[in-house]
Amino acid sequence: MMDHTSYRSAIMADPRDADAELRAHREACAECRAYTEQLLKFEARIERALRVDMPGGTEVLPFARKSRSFTGARRWLAIAASVLLGTAIVGGIWLTLPQRSLAAAVVAHMAGEPDAWQRTDIAVDAPALQDVLKNSNLRLKPKAGIVSYASSCSFRGHMVPHLVVQTPKGPVTVMVLVHEPLRKSMQFEEQGYRGTLVPVPGHGSLAVLMQDSGVSSAEIARIAAQVDDSIVWTH
Amino acid sequence: MNDQVGGKQRRARFQALCQSLRPDLLRFAFWLSRDRALAEDVVQESMLRAWKAQDSLLNEAAAKPWLLTIVRREYARTFERKRFTTVDVDELIAKEEPTLAAAEEQDIADVRAAIMKLPDEYREPLVLQVLMGYSTAEIARELDLSGAAVLTRLYRARRQLRAACGEDTALDPQE
Repeated sequence: MMDHTSYRSAIMADPRDADAELRAHREACAECRAYTEQLLKFEARIERALRVDMPGGTEVLPFARKSRSFTGARRWLAIAASVLLGTAIVGGIWLTLPQRSLAAAVVAHMAGEPDAWQRTDIAVDAPALQDVLKNSNLRLKPKAGIVSYASSCSFRGHMVPHLVVQTPKGPVTVMVLVHEPLRKSMQFEEQGYRGTLVPVPGHGSLAVLMQDSGVSSAEIARIAAQVDDSIVWTH
Repeated sequence: MNDQVGGKQRRARFQALCQSLRPDLLRFAFWLSRDRALAEDVVQESMLRAWKAQDSLLNEAAAKPWLLTIVRREYARTFERKRFTTVDVDELIAKEEPTLAAAEEQDIADVRAAIMKLPDEYREPLVLQVLMGYSTAEIARELDLSGAAVLTRLYRARRQLRAACGEDTALDPQE
């Protein structure tokens, strides 16, 4: 017959194990029967603890996600060069390894979108761009430059616009984070990316980043200011 | 036209399937990551992957384990991308305080906090067993472990939880 230690080890691994040998031991041993009852009470607590409330949600599938398109005309060409001519400098401190922070989440998102980083002078279709922007209640002024990529992306529980604007310094990624309010600007450098998070009062924040190819923090700050200035909030 | 109708029906069917399973998928992702926002991202991305790979789901009755596997892999990918080197469990617990406090009783909140502190290798099989109803063999298959290794992890998970929650462990077997 099974000994107490073997029984308790087995029952602790699976308190609902219906094995015949375990059952026989339990029926024959009052102490192990009491032990099992105590274990099952605790098991009920574990089960209740694990059953955290979670939303069913209606936005189940990201069917709204837009694929990028390079078939459009050069709608945003005119003032691309001016992107680097902004005057505002968003100061801040370079943060290293901002793990689990908003910046880290932005950088992590980049790893899943490698196609977005192409250098190109072909703009995304205007209707596709508008579709991506309209849910966040904004549009871009033409001076924003060539928007070569536009996608609605799932980010920290929300669908957000993910854009790539072509500049003379290379592609710049912009994420419009209306659900992520910030108190102050923050610059970051992580995993080969340099960028800045900029608060937009009443509209959350913007994440602006580039692949690190020698672009200075001041240049990225200028680009971010230019992007910010190119946005027209419609609501 | 028929293709369009078929596509719509297919999408609606898949949508309904995902919607019904979403709370469980979110719970699973939450207990993997211990982070509600990250869990939502992982599940959203998983559903996108599932939609693209739906032809590989041959039997709708097997949708739940199929989706759980996708969630698990997506979480692993996210984890690799983020390259977390350290996890401050107390910080995670503090962040999830509203979730923990939502428990009806304090002792359930205590068990939740204790589960959050379990090492990943103990927490994951426990969630699969208790919450998802997986058998030992199914957990072994999912985690690519032997049955004995799964039972050892489950045993250790409960032993740690019992100790952390102040249960009488005098009769607990020692390894």
